[in-house]
Amino acid sequence: MAIKTILIIEDDRFIGEMYVRSLKKAGYEIDWMVDGNDGLIAARNKPYDLILLDVMLPERRGTEILEALRGGAEDLIPNTKVLILTNFEQDDESRLAMEKNADGYLIKAEITPSKLISVITQLDKPA
Amino acid sequence: MAVTEPQKFAKDFWPYFNKVVTTVIVFSQLIILVTTAAILFMFNFLSTNLLAFICILAAQLVLGIVSSIFLYKLAAQPLKDLLAAIIHISGEPTATTPPNPNDERFDKSGFKDVLQTIYELASKDNTPAGVISSTPANGAVVAPTAQVAIPTTSPTAMIEAALNETSCGFVVMNHDRKITFSNKAAPINIDAQGVTSLSLMFNGQETLDAWLEDCDKNAVHAERTWSRIPNKLPEEEDRRFFDVIASYDKGAESEIVLTLIDRTSLYAVGEQELDFIAFAAHELRGPITVIRGYLDVLEDELKDVLKDDQHELFRRLTVSANRLSGYINNILNTSRYDRRHLNLRLGETTVTEVYDTIRDDMDLRASAQNRLLTVNIPADLPKIAGDPASLSEVFGNLIDNAIKYSNEGGSINVGASTKGDLVELTIEDHGIGMPASVIGNLFQKFYRSHRSRETVAGTGIGLYISKAIVESHGGTISVRSEEGRGSTFIVSLPTFQSVADKLKAGDNSNKGLIDQGSGWIKNHSMYRG
Repeated sequence: MAIKTILIIEDDRFIGEMYVRSLKKAGYEIDWMVDGNDGLIAARNKPYDLILLDVMLPERRGTEILEALRGGAEDLIPNTKVLILTNFEQDDESRLAMEKNADGYLIKAEITPSKLISVITQLDKPA
Repeated sequence: MAVTEPQKFAKDFWPYFNKVVTTVIVFSQLIILVTTAAILFMFNFLSTNLLAFICILAAQLVLGIVSSIFLYKLAAQPLKDLLAAIIHISGEPTATTPPNPNDERFDKSGFKDVLQTIYELASKDNTPAGVISSTPANGAVVAPTAQVAIPTTSPTAMIEAALNETSCGFVVMNHDRKITFSNKAAPINIDAQGVTSLSLMFNGQETLDAWLEDCDKNAVHAERTWSRIPNKLPEEEDRRFFDVIASYDKGAESEIVLTLIDRTSLYAVGEQELDFIAFAAHELRGPITVIRGYLDVLEDELKDVLKDDQHELFRRLTVSANRLSGYINNILNTSRYDRRHLNLRLGETTVTEVYDTIRDDMDLRASAQNRLLTVNIPADLPKIAGDPASLSEVFGNLIDNAIKYSNEGGSINVGASTKGDLVELTIEDHGIGMPASVIGNLFQKFYRSHRSRETVAGTGIGLYISKAIVESHGGTISVRSEEGRGSTFIVSLPTFQSVADKLKAGDNSNKGLIDQGSGWIKNHSMYRG
């Protein structure tokens, strides 16, 4: 299953546009949501191949979104991969909780768009 | 404190007094003897009646000495008993039993009342009623034998009560490192078996245990101070910070004495500052993400438009943004480390894998600054137990330093090899090097040599955090350097196999690792191997 559709939940306009621009250029279909509530609704309504999830978000934090999608008895997005993208590293517990439900945890400042694309390509490979 | 110099005790008075009196008796008898002999000689006894002469002198000598000593003993006995009673109530270490007022001889002579008065005075003076549960920690004071009027209070109890009043912690240990005394303020743990242990979290490898081990080997008397040592992990309740002063006195009953000064309120401000630094550094990451990201995007989109020299400008921008990002990671990790928050996730990896994550960045940095970076890491090195993100930070710091402290066009060689249970990474430059006097301080926080402060920019935390990270892996970092010739930094990391073996030996819990003494993998419990 190749990754084709991507949902970006990111409140920083500069960063959001940067990802949209380079990922679109790389051939992905992108939806971008700025706040946590909209992000969660979008993730529920449409089966994306990948969600890029920020942690510090207005309305609803990334941790809550992930919990709502994957924390319950049923995985609401079984066919979706999730990459956490954050600049504010969490303390161990919440980070552990997130890593358990996500496919990757990346520091935004360390990931340039081209590196992000190579990470996404890597995600594709084992599947 | 252990008594190191001979000290005057009340008990020392009697032997001294005894000696003086005996000497005086002997001398005075000799003088009497000589005088008698002279008188007898004048009356011609020596020549006319030699036998009488000798008999008189002998009788004089023997009777004189015996009677003097008898009189002396009789007169001095009450003094001796008084002294014994005083020695006892002073709590001095002694092997004699205190005089018992109920003894028949005291009763007869009336000395009983004197003794009782002394004991009563002592018990009135000493302590408020009720706090007399005297349990001398080291048994130095002979406990009074069960006798009626002998008080149980001693200055030891008084001092113990006083020590429990202060906010300073005191801990005394014997040669076997068993805690023989600790006051109320001391941060100690008593486990289910009733074993008392210190609860202090020393930094890295500079632990009390390591120092004591060193003392056992090399020292007779030693003293050392640590500052800002917490007793608990962050976020644990009632976490306190201590400055710890340890004194070591080989062979003494109280071989180790720790004084712990509670500095929690003083350092609390520092904690907040560290929080602030961490917060500020996180904030900086936002703009950096944008700068690095847009440079990446732009360079790609403009690659056909830009002229060569413009490409070079772009590369410089990228290199600078990458370095900035590295420095922010240094700051964040230093703040984490200082708050005991640095969590490493050790996993099976290789030096090559770690280096690959920064290879492009390092190549770019070296070429943008005109250095020849050659990397020669053999592919068949054993795997290491490492946290790739932190280790790449260490390698990046060392290569960044090599670039900084070498000259335009200089070569930097990165190599790796196996040394027993360790994999060694070496970073060698042929730059300005440094004198031996600098090396000793090199890994200290904020340390910058006089010269580097003038000529090269930097914060002085790169090597500090690098050392912390490497030691948290159970490894070591060291440096060889010659002024004017360059420096070689050596990072030694344990192989994955050796760490896994230790883990197995520790019943699959991290306890075994923690007990290795280097404090590594201390506050994280996920060893993913």
